[in-house]
Amino acid sequence: MTITRQAAPAAPVATAKLGGPSDRKWAAIFVSPAVLIMTAFMLVPILLTLWISLHEWSMLTPIGDMTWRGLGNYADLIGDPAFRGSMRNTIVYVLLVVALTVPLAVLLGLLLYFPRVGGKGAVRTALFATYVIPTVAIAMVWGALYAPTYGPFDQILGWFGISGVGWLSSPSTALISLVIFHVWQMVGYYTVLVVAGLTQIPGDLYEVARVDGAGFWRQTVSITLPMLGRTMTFIVLVAVVNAVQVFDPIYILTQGGPAGSTDIVSFSIQRAAFQYGLAGQASAMAFSLFIVMIAVVAAIMAAMRRRR
Amino acid sequence: MVGLNRGRWMVSALAALTMLAACGSDGAESGEDGNVQISFLTHWGPDQVTMLNEAVEAFEEENPDISVEVRAVPFANLLSTLRTQGSSPNGPTMASVYDLWLPELVRDGLAAPAPDAVADEVTSGWPENLVDVITVDDAVRGFPNEVNLYALNYNKALFDEAGIDAPPTTWDELRDTAEQLTDPEKGQQGFGVITSWPAGSVHPWLSLVASNGGQLLDGNTAQLEAGPVLETTQLYADLVADGSTVPEMSTANANTTGPYLDNFVNGKTAMIIMANWWKGSLSEAMGDRFDDVGVAPIPVGPSGSEPTGVSYSWLTVVNEQAQPAQQEAAWKFLSWLNGESSGEDGSSAMGDILMSMGILPSRTGDLDAHADDLSDPFLSAYVDQLPAATPFPIVLGGEELTVSVQQQLENVIFGSSDPETAMGQAQSEAQAILDKSGE
Repeated sequence: MTITRQAAPAAPVATAKLGGPSDRKWAAIFVSPAVLIMTAFMLVPILLTLWISLHEWSMLTPIGDMTWRGLGNYADLIGDPAFRGSMRNTIVYVLLVVALTVPLAVLLGLLLYFPRVGGKGAVRTALFATYVIPTVAIAMVWGALYAPTYGPFDQILGWFGISGVGWLSSPSTALISLVIFHVWQMVGYYTVLVVAGLTQIPGDLYEVARVDGAGFWRQTVSITLPMLGRTMTFIVLVAVVNAVQVFDPIYILTQGGPAGSTDIVSFSIQRAAFQYGLAGQASAMAFSLFIVMIAVVAAIMAAMRRRR
Repeated sequence: MVGLNRGRWMVSALAALTMLAACGSDGAESGEDGNVQISFLTHWGPDQVTMLNEAVEAFEEENPDISVEVRAVPFANLLSTLRTQGSSPNGPTMASVYDLWLPELVRDGLAAPAPDAVADEVTSGWPENLVDVITVDDAVRGFPNEVNLYALNYNKALFDEAGIDAPPTTWDELRDTAEQLTDPEKGQQGFGVITSWPAGSVHPWLSLVASNGGQLLDGNTAQLEAGPVLETTQLYADLVADGSTVPEMSTANANTTGPYLDNFVNGKTAMIIMANWWKGSLSEAMGDRFDDVGVAPIPVGPSGSEPTGVSYSWLTVVNEQAQPAQQEAAWKFLSWLNGESSGEDGSSAMGDILMSMGILPSRTGDLDAHADDLSDPFLSAYVDQLPAATPFPIVLGGEELTVSVQQQLENVIFGSSDPETAMGQAQSEAQAILDKSGE
């Protein structure tokens, strides 16, 4: 049996093209508010971050009183083992989050979309609820769940003779404990995105596949997953960005510890700027992270495009 | 052409930024009724803010030409609030600050030198070692208020259970006692340490260093590879190796609570070195069992001669960026708030506020006025240790230095580094921080 991959039918798109100068003038007028807002709230902060990163500034003085350092802050970062450690932790955190969240979201999405059973809406709502609850509130609860020896997780494991896991209290488990929390909190959101992606796959394809004798797994591998390509690209990108930006649980639960094991770049930036008064160094970290993120996002998009 | 446009655009954006940064009012020196308006930034809780507001009302009655506004933020946001608002025209006129932040505040013009009359008042009314801490560039920089120091806290019920009569006074006794009080079956550790909290990790360890004849800094030179420091770090490694210290029971969270506190409260930690301010947390969490908590001097190490705990203080500073009339009004308010006429029975209003939190006031007159309250067994043990306390060194970059030492100390506690390697690394990092801050 052969299942030929078919391109999804092209969505109807507006085909009208801009005509003469008058049309372009109106287009510019309509687009300009968005451009102005993006300039004010995106480009200006990015440029300001770059500008501060070239200076030494404690934030206690007016911004005009910064001291020029050139690329000194960037040079310091390259030689700083703490920054390298936080970069390493960030990469591990992002990889674990993506590796766990994306397959789990796809699996849950398939389970919520295909079987014809009742209560799917309730499950979907329950999964999405973890995303809606403020991180600060839920992080405190997870802190109690993770408490060593007397916490519920350790108590339950104790019934099976497992003890001394450590969770947030051990350098070997603290980062993975935060990853578990992140996955728990975000997987519902990605699941909803997967379900939304599944609704875009034409039912005809499955019907043809069934006529050709394809079972559920063959349909999944040959139709569902390839047709989810664009949705998956979006989910992976959002998952990476969300993982890189994680801050609240680290600030609340571990403060980068124990022994620097959960010290990730976003927390280091906050600490350098607001605790150490090194806004230039913090901005250099932030801008370096920004450049890395652009490279990562470009690489992911290129890889996904090649696959398609 | 495109490059030229981009260049013009960037110049325009930066010009706009500069204009934005330059925008702002000239400050609210005078209110609608001609009063001098000043503000007081604090991290105190609602009860203490209420007491402060009551004091403000009394002050404003006596001084109708001055209006004082109290601004309260959580402790974790205090320094960031100062950083983001300190130099703005509407920034706080007065702020309660941790003494470790003082050199930076002085450098950046946010801690004004006290007028001569105020400086004399502080010099004559507070202990000399505290006045020294808040004197920068030969000028008194504010009013010291709370003082905290570290001592050994122990659970008397666990000691009785184990048949141990008295807390340890030397490191040998500390190791023996900790070993006797450790019971893995019960999940009980003999001696607790604190991790994931810079001051909570470093201050107790430094108290042991100081009680072993060592120090963190000599002027602007780090002393982390000196014998007494290495011996103290080795003591931590030995306690972990003995099983008397369980690293996983040590963590703190952003609220400076968490497992380390829970374990002591629940009788799972027999001894820990902590500061007097946690009395409130302990008594609230332990209820009647708080009577089981004993306080003793820091055990003395083999290279030390007498017990000494690390101390640190808080002070109220006046913003040098405020208008002159505001600064004058602020010093007047602080003199009154810290003077003997503002509180009850000879105490200052500040002394009363601090005592309501179970925190030691630092003004000599306040200590006398609250002698009865301070005679409870928990606080009196700290008061007794106060004259011999070792102030935490106040230097530029102190916060970063503390975190650097904390990281290396935690590497030893969690077994990822040996004491010598960790302190070698801490020494080079600390010195680099000090050198950079001194440039």
